[in-house]
Amino acid sequence: MSQMSDLDAHQDRRPAQVGDRLAGAVLLVLALGAWWHSHSFVTGFMQPVGPGAFPRLVSLPLAALAAYLILRPGFNERWPDRAGLARQLAVLLLLAAYAGLLEPLGFLPATLAGAIVLTRLFGAAWGQALIAGTGLALGLYALFEFALGMPLPDVPWWGGGN
Amino acid sequence: METLAFLAQGFAVATQPEFLLLALIGCAVGTLIGALPGLGPVNGVALMIPLAFNFGLDPTAALILLVSVYYGCMYGGRISSIVLNIPGDEPAMMTTLDGYPMALKGRGGEALGLSAVASFVGATIATIGLTLFAPLLVDLAIKFGPAEYFALFLLAFATIGGVTSGSFTKSFIAACLGLLLGTVGIDPVSSVARYTFGTFELYDGIDFIVALVGLFAISECLVFLEQRHDADKPHIKLGSAWPGMKASLSCKGTIGRGSLIGFVSGVLPGAGASLGSFLSYMLEKRWLGSKGDFGNGDPRGVAAPEAGNNAAAGGALIPMLSLGIPGSGTTAILLALLLSMNITPGPLLFAQQPEMVWGLVAALFIGNIMLLVLNVPLVGLFARVLQAPSWLLMPMVVLIAFVGVYSLNNSPFDLYMMLAFGVLGYVLRKLEIPTVPVVLGLLLGGQMEFNLRRAMSISGGDWSILVNSGISIGIYAFAATLIVAGAVYAMLLKRRLA
Repeated sequence: MSQMSDLDAHQDRRPAQVGDRLAGAVLLVLALGAWWHSHSFVTGFMQPVGPGAFPRLVSLPLAALAAYLILRPGFNERWPDRAGLARQLAVLLLLAAYAGLLEPLGFLPATLAGAIVLTRLFGAAWGQALIAGTGLALGLYALFEFALGMPLPDVPWWGGGN
Repeated sequence: METLAFLAQGFAVATQPEFLLLALIGCAVGTLIGALPGLGPVNGVALMIPLAFNFGLDPTAALILLVSVYYGCMYGGRISSIVLNIPGDEPAMMTTLDGYPMALKGRGGEALGLSAVASFVGATIATIGLTLFAPLLVDLAIKFGPAEYFALFLLAFATIGGVTSGSFTKSFIAACLGLLLGTVGIDPVSSVARYTFGTFELYDGIDFIVALVGLFAISECLVFLEQRHDADKPHIKLGSAWPGMKASLSCKGTIGRGSLIGFVSGVLPGAGASLGSFLSYMLEKRWLGSKGDFGNGDPRGVAAPEAGNNAAAGGALIPMLSLGIPGSGTTAILLALLLSMNITPGPLLFAQQPEMVWGLVAALFIGNIMLLVLNVPLVGLFARVLQAPSWLLMPMVVLIAFVGVYSLNNSPFDLYMMLAFGVLGYVLRKLEIPTVPVVLGLLLGGQMEFNLRRAMSISGGDWSILVNSGISIGIYAFAATLIVAGAVYAMLLKRRLA
């Protein structure tokens, strides 16, 4: 947990003109968009405060603060280098694929494959990944299916089903 | 005394074998999670929530489990601070300053034993404080109307923004972003779909458990992936924890002062454990002056922040239970759990479900003793977890998060949402925009808006109702004071680091 750390961040933080200004711009657009879109919410009968009021109430300070961030950018933690970015992207892609394949393939095959590749992406050698991934997948299956009694998606072509 | 009778009732609830077992599991799992570098109470509790749902636990049981995990994590956080010089979570940061030097001198075991006792005393004092003060706050809160609650929500954001982070702008941005995200979905008053853009999965709003697991667990993994971690783990020689018990006797003054300071900072909404450990360390250093050798392995430098952060963790439960306003990221998550079980903490909870509230308080007392008993003899075992390779631990965290979140609604959409929040959490962390206010906004936004609209319909559209009572003006004044105090604190901190 280091997202709020005033104490350790100073080693790794830099002045961030680009990062903060970009974030400020995105947030400003978001706030203005939210303000504009909130006018399409129909206020019902007998409501002194309609559904659009609160979002407007929030987007106003958000816009102001975002504008301030553009004008006075602060500090960022060090952004990842290219290799780090590639590792993160690979894990995210794998997880997205896993999420998509969980139901079509069934829990066990999808998790088995997912866990092995995931362990590998986190730095295990192939042999370690094979053992650890299989263990993790089986362990999770046992935990959820038997200990917790949660039905997980079955392998479709095995028939039966839950 | 009425409170004592309630507490006795609570002990009758909490000593049921099922709850004792849950508390024990929670304490052990919590200590393990807390001990892992990078995984603190927020991640730990976030990860356990989907599991608690799947256990089919009733609210009391789920709360006991998660609060034991919470207390356990606060205990465990010190292990990696002392042994590896890596704080398991933010409040454990101050413990590295003297804990690691002690470990280098071969007094690691002693430091762990001492910090276990300090944690125990801090947490117990805080739990006693919770028993005494929560009912008082409840008596006050019973007078609150919607306008006062609206003010209270503003207070929570003001303090979490003012105290926990270096940058005001960024923490308020985070709070606004969370509040805005909280409006997504069908508006419960007018049944208008807001910001759903035709995606029917969004009609129920953003599930905060999904958002939480993404913001904390998934983003933590992304941070981990920034660097390669194939270096060998250092071998740890600890020695016995028993000398720490004796050392704690000579530190009893330090522990007492640290506990009190920690407790007070925990009660302030939004301040939380980090402030507790920081203040206890700094004030103890000032108190001892030249009699202390802080920064070079002074045992009192371990005792003070550990007493402080555990006391703060207990103190933070007070505003959460009695007002429904969380005092820290972790209590926000506990609040999320309660809300999703259709339990709204606040004065009514104490009146309507005393067995649950007091059962929880009793469970905290029992959990504390369990933690002490677990931690002194078994600390070597917990420290060994740190030796487990991260290529095993991190995928385990990710997969538990995945299966846990999937099983909430059996919906792959939730998984994509979790990943999206993981990326969002990561980017926010890199930008130094704190994620806790986002969670708080997402969580409290609905209640805040509801109270605002109720106040407005009482007044018939007259906005002045918001500042019409002495209580709400008092709350606004308190919020303003805390923002100023936060500014002073940030300035002091900057000077300390410069």
